Amino acid sequence: MAHDWQPDFEQLVDEHQSMVFSLAWRMTGDHGLAEEIAQDAFLELDRNLGKIESAAHACFWLRRVTMSRSADALRRRKVRGMDLCVEIDESHGARAEEPSSPLGSRLEGLLTTLPEPQRAALVLRYQEDLTPEEIAATLGAPLATVKSHLQRGLKLLRAKAATHLKEYVRGV
Amino acid sequence: MFVEFESMDDFERELRQAFERRPAPSGLKSKLMQRRRAQRSLHRAVLWQRLAASIALAAVVAGGFAWRKREERRKGEAARQQLFTALRITNRALNHMNTQLAAHRQAAQE
Repeated sequence: MAHDWQPDFEQLVDEHQSMVFSLAWRMTGDHGLAEEIAQDAFLELDRNLGKIESAAHACFWLRRVTMSRSADALRRRKVRGMDLCVEIDESHGARAEEPSSPLGSRLEGLLTTLPEPQRAALVLRYQEDLTPEEIAATLGAPLATVKSHLQRGLKLLRAKAATHLKEYVRGV
Repeated sequence: MFVEFESMDDFERELRQAFERRPAPSGLKSKLMQRRRAQRSLHRAVLWQRLAASIALAAVVAGGFAWRKREERRKGEAARQQLFTALRITNRALNHMNTQLAAHRQAAQE
């Protein structure tokens, strides 16, 4: 199908690097791995640039590839027997140029303890502000499954926050 | 100090704030562009190698085809020469027999 949109790779990187990196980082909890995943996602985009039809398609495509690569990386880690519940690197989480609230950093840390499908659904919902339908399309999962992951993930995260964050805030 | 999420809405609001996009590491773009350049030159090198291999393969196939054709022609020519030689020998033998028969007929008439 012919399309008029002329993609500029560098511009796409400028526009979406923050989104891609944040997704990968929140999914893996590993700064180095997230950077690697982000680079891989953009390189894959570069190879498939001819198939991209619009700016929105590029954004959707990047989200999808980033989530899928992050899930693959987590699975590879699991196979190698590494601990999945990696604490988010707080030195990155609380960068000087964009300070994060201590509560926010703790919530991000708790997110990494959730099962991978629930984490994926929550990250897309609250970082990217996607609807359950859009999340289902991005993850290639049935809508009912996504809704269930959102509900359970939110409930679990809230329960964890209720116990962990009270202690944390008391300790401040 | 004590934190309670009064409702799910409060909690979701807090999540939205906590999960804002983070700036990518400053070196990400430059590293990415470097990898892209490296991949592109590797891709070009692979393309050239494939092209060279295709040309070499085509030359070998064409050479083989030409050699086979020439060989067939050479064998055909050799077979033709053999046939002509055989015909010449047969012709000579028949001529010889004709001569002998003519001599025999002449001797019988005398």
